[in-house]
Amino acid sequence: MSHPLEPRLASYIAGRMPQARGIGVEGLSRISGGASRETYRFVLSWTEGGQSLSRKLILRRDPPASLIDTERRIEFEAYRAFYGTTVPVPEMLWLEEGSESLDHPFFIAQELEGYQAAPALLWTPPYLDTHLKLAQAKWSILGQIARADPAELGLDQVMTAVTPADCATRELNYWEGVLNEDEAEPLPITRAAIRWLRANPPPPPAQIRVVHGDYRTGNFLYDTDGVIHGVLDWEMAHLGDPLEDLGWSLNPVWSFGRELAGGLVTSEQAVAIWEAASDMTANLAALHWWTLFNCVKGQAIWISSARAFIDGGNREPIMVYPPWALQNAQDRAILKVMGKL
Amino acid sequence: MKPDIPSVLAELAGLIVRNAAPGIADTDRASALGLSAALMGIAAGALDGMAHHLVQENRRARALLGEVGSDEDLHISALSVENARLRQALIVRHTEAEGSDQALEATIWLELAASTVWRMRPGSPV
Repeated sequence: MSHPLEPRLASYIAGRMPQARGIGVEGLSRISGGASRETYRFVLSWTEGGQSLSRKLILRRDPPASLIDTERRIEFEAYRAFYGTTVPVPEMLWLEEGSESLDHPFFIAQELEGYQAAPALLWTPPYLDTHLKLAQAKWSILGQIARADPAELGLDQVMTAVTPADCATRELNYWEGVLNEDEAEPLPITRAAIRWLRANPPPPPAQIRVVHGDYRTGNFLYDTDGVIHGVLDWEMAHLGDPLEDLGWSLNPVWSFGRELAGGLVTSEQAVAIWEAASDMTANLAALHWWTLFNCVKGQAIWISSARAFIDGGNREPIMVYPPWALQNAQDRAILKVMGKL
Repeated sequence: MKPDIPSVLAELAGLIVRNAAPGIADTDRASALGLSAALMGIAAGALDGMAHHLVQENRRARALLGEVGSDEDLHISALSVENARLRQALIVRHTEAEGSDQALEATIWLELAASTVWRMRPGSPV
């Protein structure tokens, strides 16, 4: 049966494509896994200049309450800024910030089809043999993000400015604030990590760069040859210290139990690939700070997800999975990074 | 474990009933039921030992904090409330010990590490 959103989506797109006739939306189906946005794929068909055309597209719609509160315009503009560069991203088509058309804000983008995103597949053939190549691609792309000038990309116009001296404190203040607001039970391990982070601030970065904010295995599209075709989930993108992204990629919860960065290679290998691509040197003390910080950030995200469920803002099972599956693992990651495990 | 297991199971029961009705898109149904099954599996694995572990952990926390007392109400909800009170007190004691009482600080770290062992879920990445 057809999805009830299909005719409303077709009506919206018709308003954006005045040259097209007979616009239709078919096969709208939800892609599981997205907790911060509802993600659907669909096929758009239309007639133009006497030709019948179709295109596979993605709809990303805000849920009633999310595990992270983000600005969709920043996400949209981040994708747009990197489209056509060496950082592979899908093409963005339309951003709708009102709620009239589909009840919540949303954007529509190109679907990059035929690739995988699920980490679990990587531990099975034929992907097992691609880990080194995939890691090379993964941390090279991250290095290229770190290397890009935010002003040249135009992202300094949409993202909040920050000075090198302030970026670590700003991020820690924000995520500690999320924890203060959303925690449903005391978090002695996470609180100890925050005290350590406050007492041992990192040196400021040499340059402010674009930070993806959620760069990890699971947030890019890969193939059987270890090639990455799309970097996804830019909803937490912001300006800051490029080591922040590297630290998130080294968060032990993204090791998938394999004791490797992203489940792929050693942390040392990952850092070496990133350094070569970014033309930067990772200060190891600063990187340790950002890795621990990202454990705290991760915990804040899982806790927010629990809060959205508890308060009734979003009672979907996807909101329960992160706190149940990852909250304790994140505490163990903190212990590991702090040398307490 | 937050959200509490009973509240989640109650929500999943309603979700499953809704997905048993005709007219739900196949992909929506598959997504809802797949995740529900995963959560029920986590709940099943956690439930049996939870009261036991909370009593044990509360006992150790009271010893660390120099408190006397015991858990009389063995409902998981009551044990969890007491556990939260004790863990909040442990945060205060830990903060006080940092830089002033290395032995106590080390003991608290050991207890915090132990507290993550029984909370581990199958397939935990760390």
